[in-house]
Amino acid sequence: MKELVEYIATALVDNPAEVSVKQSRDFGNKVNLELQVAKEDMGRIIGKSGRVANSIRVLLRVAAARDNKQVNLDVVEGR
Amino acid sequence: MSPEKTILEVIAPTVEEAVSRGLDQLGLPEEAVEVEVLDQGAKGLFGLGNRQARVRLIVRPISLGEKTTAAEPGTGSTPSRASGEDDDYPLELARHVVEELITRMKVNAKVESSWVEQHNGSPEPMVLVDVHGEDLSILIGRRSEVLNSLQYITSLIVSKELGKWIPLMIDIQGYRTRRERQLRQLAQRMAEQAVHSGRRQVLEPMSASERRIIHLELRDHPDVVTESVGDEPNRKVTILLKR
Repeated sequence: MKELVEYIATALVDNPAEVSVKQSRDFGNKVNLELQVAKEDMGRIIGKSGRVANSIRVLLRVAAARDNKQVNLDVVEGR
Repeated sequence: MSPEKTILEVIAPTVEEAVSRGLDQLGLPEEAVEVEVLDQGAKGLFGLGNRQARVRLIVRPISLGEKTTAAEPGTGSTPSRASGEDDDYPLELARHVVEELITRMKVNAKVESSWVEQHNGSPEPMVLVDVHGEDLSILIGRRSEVLNSLQYITSLIVSKELGKWIPLMIDIQGYRTRRERQLRQLAQRMAEQAVHSGRRQVLEPMSASERRIIHLELRDHPDVVTESVGDEPNRKVTILLKR
């Protein structure tokens, strides 16, 4: 799951070196991912009306379902 | 920047409607065009002084970064362009991106890509990425949600790498082709019903590309016209009698 988000984010931003994905502890079958990108890349990852972020979530859900997990993705701004 | 630009002007009751109609017609996502509002339109009192909104959609030669240029492929983790292979670089790139994505989604499948003609008769060819394998319904999803997301993300990555927007479609086990045939049949059946009943027929909500298939199928129909109503993701095609 983490690798999927990393791959997409790195390919879409202008500052791939500033992409990082953190996976928090699992609560049962729930996984929380936090994607951090440079401030100027936020728009690119979120997209108009959140379209890009939502598409990433859809693909992520497929990956998670393979492991019988539920996943949540947050996008945060780097400093 | 390419000197050739595709420009489309649309007139509709509101600016939003004009934009989404235009995008329907072009079969492109919002990111691929630049919107210029020519006339905001005006709501008159009791229909008096009512003016429709007018917008102009310009298909972007460069869709994503202003920083990348069409001449300069980016330097990512994706395969680099070899000289003399310019023509097929987008094919190889698109195939590679889809493979990388589905591998990380833990799906095993065979990925192929080819140039195909666009449905709208545009001289520019389109990249078709074909995914084959067993039990791939997970890659399509409900109302082809997964397939559409996969196609959207792939288009963004490919366009960013190429520095320009290129039309790209992903098909999974021939799903799109099958679905297109079904939609065409549905369009004809509903048009017939509209003619028989004299009433407006409302279809189920569909994505922009699916609505486009319906619009195109009935474009030359002698008795009916089509119109999309409602907001995404519940936008639907309606079929009504020509006046």
